[in-house]
Amino acid sequence: MLKVIAACGSGMGSSQIIKMKLSKVFKKLGIDADVYHTNVGDAKSQANNYDVVFCSASLEGQFAGTKAKVIGLKNLLSEQEMTEKIEAADLK
Amino acid sequence: MFKEFVEDKHYSFHEGFDDWRDAIRAACAPLLADGTIDKEYPEFIIEKVEELGPYIVIAPDICIPHAERGRGVHGTSMCFMKTEKPVRFAKDGEHDARIFVVLAATDDDAHIKNLMALSETLSDEEIVKKILAAKTPEDLLAIEA
Repeated sequence: MLKVIAACGSGMGSSQIIKMKLSKVFKKLGIDADVYHTNVGDAKSQANNYDVVFCSASLEGQFAGTKAKVIGLKNLLSEQEMTEKIEAADLK
Repeated sequence: MFKEFVEDKHYSFHEGFDDWRDAIRAACAPLLADGTIDKEYPEFIIEKVEELGPYIVIAPDICIPHAERGRGVHGTSMCFMKTEKPVRFAKDGEHDARIFVVLAATDDDAHIKNLMALSETLSDEEIVKKILAAKTPEDLLAIEA
């Protein structure tokens, strides 16, 4: 099971949209993943317990130094971008 | 979704804004007018963007201003705004937006329903094109048809 955090500034808008989209994309790719959505501060403190962090590209810098893989998204609504980045990062 | 925006008077159309902060305030104005939010809510949104960058611009041309739940919010709702000229959030021009949907939330289930509908609608490029062309509430109602 892949452990995933979706993060945004407040934890109530963009991170939930990322979670909805990601869950769909992971399912399509046949990857068993558990996606947790939260705000940046909480995500930073918890990131080391997760495999990968997804966030808006403008928040990527917030996660410098975390052990988890960090994937910044330019278009949070694009399932294509998510698919490409999941495949490029070789997540499974 | 658009029917609700129009029925609730949760919409506005503008030419443009030189400062993205004013765009956020204008986008929130109908929610302030009917008491869904307090006047601090847009300022909370602005503070977060100043701290973290323009993460509320979630896709080309699309901005969803929102702040943490429970602070300055009294209801769960969304509010639409469109500008003719793109509002610039960063100098690089990679975060320009003309479509704004403000999110306000007190109730989790209703909020998730709103977000699902919103994300599905805005993921459809044909609908986004129609929203970008809309200039009146009648145009918005025609999109849903």
